[in-house]
Order: sequence, then C-alpha cells, then structure tokens
Amino acid sequence: MEKQEAEDDLRRSRSERHRLHITPAHPPGPLIDRVTNGWRGDVKTAANPPTGDDYEPGICDFEDEGSCPNVSRDLVRSRRFRRMMALVLLLLLVAYYAWQAYLRPRLQQEWNFKEGFLPGRVNGTYGIARAGDFDGTTIRDIHPDLLPGGVADHQGKRRLVFIGDIHGCRKELLHLLHSIDFDPTTDHLIATGDVISKGPNSPGVLDELIKVGAESVRGNHEDRLVEAAKTLLSTDLQAPSAATTSKGYAKDAALLKELKPRHMRYLHDMPLMLRIPALPLAKKRKGKHHIAEDIIVVHAGLVPHVPLDRQDPYFVMNMRSIDHKTHVPSALHETKTGNSKPWFDVWNWYQDRLDRGRSVGGFHVYSYAEWLEKQIQEDGWFGKLRGSVLSKALRKLNPQVAVYGHDSKMGLQVHRWSKGLDSGCVSGGRLTAMVLDARGETEVVQVGCKNYR
Amino acid sequence: MGSLRPRLATRDAPFEQVRESPTWSHQNADEDEPDKYFHESTFSEHYDGRFADRPLNYDERRSHLTALMQTYLSTMNDIGAETWIMHGSLLGWYWSRKILPWDSDIDVMVSEQSIHHLANYYNMTVHTFDLGSDSDDVESHSSSYLLEINPHYTNSTLDSVNKIDARWIDTATGLFIDITTLRRNTTAEALGIEDAMMMVKDKHHYNYDDIFPLRHSDFEGYPAKIPFAYAELLIEEYGEKALSDVYYQNHRFDPEKGEWVALRNPVDGVNLPASSSDEEETAASRPHAADRARPGLETPFGGRPLPPRLLKQRP
Repeated sequence: MEKQEAEDDLRRSRSERHRLHITPAHPPGPLIDRVTNGWRGDVKTAANPPTGDDYEPGICDFEDEGSCPNVSRDLVRSRRFRRMMALVLLLLLVAYYAWQAYLRPRLQQEWNFKEGFLPGRVNGTYGIARAGDFDGTTIRDIHPDLLPGGVADHQGKRRLVFIGDIHGCRKELLHLLHSIDFDPTTDHLIATGDVISKGPNSPGVLDELIKVGAESVRGNHEDRLVEAAKTLLSTDLQAPSAATTSKGYAKDAALLKELKPRHMRYLHDMPLMLRIPALPLAKKRKGKHHIAEDIIVVHAGLVPHVPLDRQDPYFVMNMRSIDHKTHVPSALHETKTGNSKPWFDVWNWYQDRLDRGRSVGGFHVYSYAEWLEKQIQEDGWFGKLRGSVLSKALRKLNPQVAVYGHDSKMGLQVHRWSKGLDSGCVSGGRLTAMVLDARGETEVVQVGCKNYR
Repeated sequence: MGSLRPRLATRDAPFEQVRESPTWSHQNADEDEPDKYFHESTFSEHYDGRFADRPLNYDERRSHLTALMQTYLSTMNDIGAETWIMHGSLLGWYWSRKILPWDSDIDVMVSEQSIHHLANYYNMTVHTFDLGSDSDDVESHSSSYLLEINPHYTNSTLDSVNKIDARWIDTATGLFIDITTLRRNTTAEALGIEDAMMMVKDKHHYNYDDIFPLRHSDFEGYPAKIPFAYAELLIEEYGEKALSDVYYQNHRFDPEKGEWVALRNPVDGVNLPASSSDEEETAASRPHAADRARPGLETPFGGRPLPPRLLKQRP
C-alpha cells in the first residue's frame, strides 16, 4: 500500500514537472516523448479506494471472467438456468393471477360484508335510533307443545309447515295442504305473512288459517290493513280522512268491509316475529336442507347483528336489500347509493361467521350495558376471566335461520341460514311450503297457481 | 273604471291588531312579493316579525319549539284535524321521538279536509296554554298561540310565494310551525294520469301509499300521526346515513339517554347557550332541569323520555 502510494506520488510529480516545464517550452523531438499518460495515474487514484490494496475489476469489465456481463452470458447459455428462470416467471404469473382473480376479489368481498358491522364515524350504526313502533306483539315464542320432538312429542312425529305469501289464494292453499297430507293434530302451520290482499279470497284464507290453528307473522299488507282500520273504524269523532278522497283507500276499505271481527282479531294478533327454538332431536350438521338451529320467522327480513328488539318494524315487514356500508335496509332491491346487497346475503355471511365461531368482538354494540360488558371482557386476560365468570353474555350470539316471504321477484331462495318462500302465487307463480320434521330435515313442496292479477 | 280600483292584496293580520311584546313590527312586508301572505322577520326566516324582535339562543329555541309542537299536537287532537309530522321533525321522531336539537323549524302536514275545516272554523283563533312545570321550583307561565290560515290555501296549483297554507305561531317568541296541505294532484288527474301522486305546494310529491294509512305514535310526549312508510320517506329525503349516523351538526346521539346531545356548546351567534345570569329566562328555557336533578327518574336505555311538561289549555 505504501509502496503503491509512493509510486503514484512519484508518477504524478513527474507528470506535473513535465506539464509545467516541458509543455510550454515545446522542445524538439518526436511527439511521442511528450505523451505523459498522466491521466492513467489520475484514474487510478480515483478508481482505487484508499482501503483496497489490489486492483478490483469492475462488474462490467468484459476482460474479467467473473464480471457481470460474462457471468450473465454464461448463465443465459446454460439450459438449467433458463429452465429455472422460466419456472420463476411462471410462478410469478400464477401468483399475480391468483391475487387478481381470486384473492383480491375474495378479500374485497369479505371486506364489503364486514364493513357494515364495524363501528366507525363514517357509516354510523343502524339500530341505535328509536325507530318505528309496532302495535302488537313484537316477538312471540312458539308454544312448546307445538315443537317437533319437544315436550309433547317424544317420538318426533310432529312437523312444522312454513308457507310463503298466500295473498288470498284459498284454493291453492287447500291444494298445497292436501299435497303434504297436512294433519292439524300433528302438524303446525306457520305462514310468513301477507296471507291477505291482492288475491280472490282473503277472508276465506283467514278462515282456513283459523280453522287449522295456524300462526302467521304480520306482513306489510296486514300492517296496512291494521293501521287503516284504526282510522276508518275508529269511534272517536275524527275529521274525515284525506284517504277518503283517494283510490288507494278504496282497496283497503273494500277489504275491510269483507272482514269480520274474528278476522281483524286474527290480523291484530299476528306478531312481528315468531321464534322457534332449536329442535331437540335435530343433530347439528351442514347442509341447506337441514335445520338444527333457532328459527326466526318474519315477513321480509332482518338486519344481522342488530338485536331483535331493536329491529325497525317497518323494515322487518318491507326490506329487500341492505346497504352494505350503513346496514340501512330498503324495500327496494337496488337503491340510489349502489351499495345494495340482498338482505339475506349479509344475513348468511354473518350467521356463517357465528357458526364457524369467528369473533364478532369488534362489531357494533347497541346498548350501554353491552358496551360495558365488552369493556370488562377486553381488559386483559384477568378481565376476560373475570368477565366470563361474573357476567353472562347479554346476548347469546348463536346462528339463527330466518324463514321469510315478501320477495316474489327473487322467488324461492333456500340457503343454509335463510329460507325465502314467496314464489309469487297470486301472480301465477307457485305456492311454496317448507316442511320441517323433528330430525331437522326440510322438504320443499310447491303447487301451481292461477294468475289473479 | 276597474283598472283604477286599487289592487286587493291579502296580507297577514296587521301588526296593530296582533301586537304582543315588540314595540314595532320586525317585518319587511314591502320587500316581499306583493302576493305573499306570510312575512318572516327581518332577522331570520324562522321567526314571525310581528311577534319577535330577536332570534332565540340554542336552549331557548329548543324549549320554545318543544312547547310549540306540544301545543299544536294537543290543539289539532282536540279539534280532530288530521295532521302528521314530516321532514326534519319526522327524522327527530325516528331517532328519539323529539325535535332534533339543531333543527330550527317544525314541519307538519294536514289533509285537504282538515285545512278546509281549520280555515272555516279556526282561522285567527288564539289558543292560550299554561306551560306549567310539574316541579315547584320552576315558575309556570302561559303562552298564546295563533292559528293563521293563508287565504291562498284554496288555490291548489303551484304557488311559489304561498307554499305555506297555515301557521301555528308562538305570539311570545315569533317561532312558528309551517303547515302545508297534502293535496290530490288535480292537474295530473285532469290529464288522466292513472297513478297520480299526491302533492304539496312546495313541489314535494308523495305516493298515497307512503303517507296513508297514518300510523299512531307520539312526539314530544303527545299523540302524533306518522306517515305509513316513514322510513322510505326519510331515506328518500335524507339518504341512508340519516338513519345510521350518530354524529351530526356538532351533536352525538347518546344511546343511553336515547336523545341527541351537543358535543360542545354551539358557538355561532344564534346558538349561544343561555346565559345563567338571566335567572328567569334560564328557568323557563330548561324545563327538564328539575327533572334531571330528581333521583330515581333516570331514563332507562332506549326508554321513553322524561315526562313532558304539563300542558293546560285555558278555557
């Protein structure tokens, strides 16, 4: 090292002398003598770092065998390397394709479903507001004696029969009951609402339902009639309603005239939701034709994760879609925001999550008590332990199956966690029954209908 | 001859005949269109200039609007006029059965029959109420409300200066409720349109089935009627978020109380909180202060609000 520096210094001083003294003087002699090659010395000092004592070849030096271009050329020439490169490229391509075509949409979809459940200042919390009133029983539990495999049915002979929107189609109802060998002593009939209006014989349908001891949840048409009856039949001296000047009123009034007090009592008695506990004899297993969980019967739908007593009655009787960001339902299939999903898609995603035991800890809370309980549970492992011992979960979050009607445009919709039974009987579609036995097996039976519209 | 006759313009009741506290009328009737019947105050479109000389602050406005709503519902109930709440008031009903605290007006509708009935028998009637408090430490006082019908109500075509068919006016503060009539769309019916929508003179159109049959509920502690498809109307007017967003206009919805609370004291000129030095004003404008202090009267979560002030109509 010292030696080289000395050499360098020597050479540089020599070249400087040449430049200083020889060049301006222009002494005679061949030009070659005046070539100093001073640049070589300069380049060397610049190229060599002061720490390196040997000459290091640049990576792009073609004269050196280990330099980059040479190595690359050798590699490219080798078949093995080319094969490997092709494989790597292929893998990258596959990974990219998998991300684009499968993983990303899946993650996006998962997020689209999840977003509406997460609290945040952007989308708000549907289910916090006081919302509408319901004049009648909001939630009714089915009588225990009627439960297949329940206390009154150890042999498991009983059946539950769910029927979609009947809309006054008495003939079709009788035909359907006949085709499933309906026996009022062992079978319990549950209608999903909208048993009246539109069709030819609303009082006749109500009479049949009363005769076989059937239950029904309240549909939007029953709701309309029950509310109309208050104004039209009320005894207090009210000014004549504006309704008397309009056509829509005429339909309500005509039907009200047909109905007897026993019919009105039956309509008024219809609950908003009907709850059926898990069948004791049904074994839990997957499949969309098997029910072993709690069942909620409603007319139109439910917003998942919102407690039953906080559901807005209007939407329970009217919803068709849910805004996946705000979870505000709509009676329309598609709203202006473009965020609509069929309500049962969001419902099924949520029930699936509960079924798989995945956490819903970060999801919305709807009451101060619920929030407090969550704070206790999230307070470290000790808090968790204490929480699990001291406070019982306020809400038991078990998956539930929703049985509903209302959406004839979607038609029969049988999924694991939701059963849509309105197949448009009154407009010439079919009348659908879902028969549930004590072992949890379901069977869908349909009859054709005349078009009454 | 006819052209020389002075133009007959209907005007709201003259200041000299209805004056209460202000010494002069804070109206600018001459600046409005000649055919306009109701004239708002010079300082705000939410006050009647004949009865007000200043806008109220946040707390005063809330308590006076509440009383305004309660007395209106109570009176219409007694008369038997069909009326229901709409717009911002309907949104307030949806959230908490109360007026939204940031709302500066109240919107109600009446049926055609009802406006005829009110015009025929109740125009320019003054209804006096004892706004008694149910606790001893708040002094009770009375307040008078004027029901004034716009004579243009009979004109059911669109009328840009007379959209409001009637007003329920607080003669102490100048606050009022705009009453509009839901009418059959006679123009559309004449054209033979099958599914003619109902209309209001402010150009709003409604499906018959979205409004009727009216639902029975309560608002500010009094029986009130609600349009049948309330949720649909609210989404149509305010969007989905209006039913889910718990933060709005410096207010947060408190799920425990079941009502909207101010995040911090609103600071703009109109919304200054009541000054505590003004003893009488404060007591009157905070009707629930005494209730809140009383133990054992806490509102359960999602439960009904505290009982409203006792309303007594003077004979």
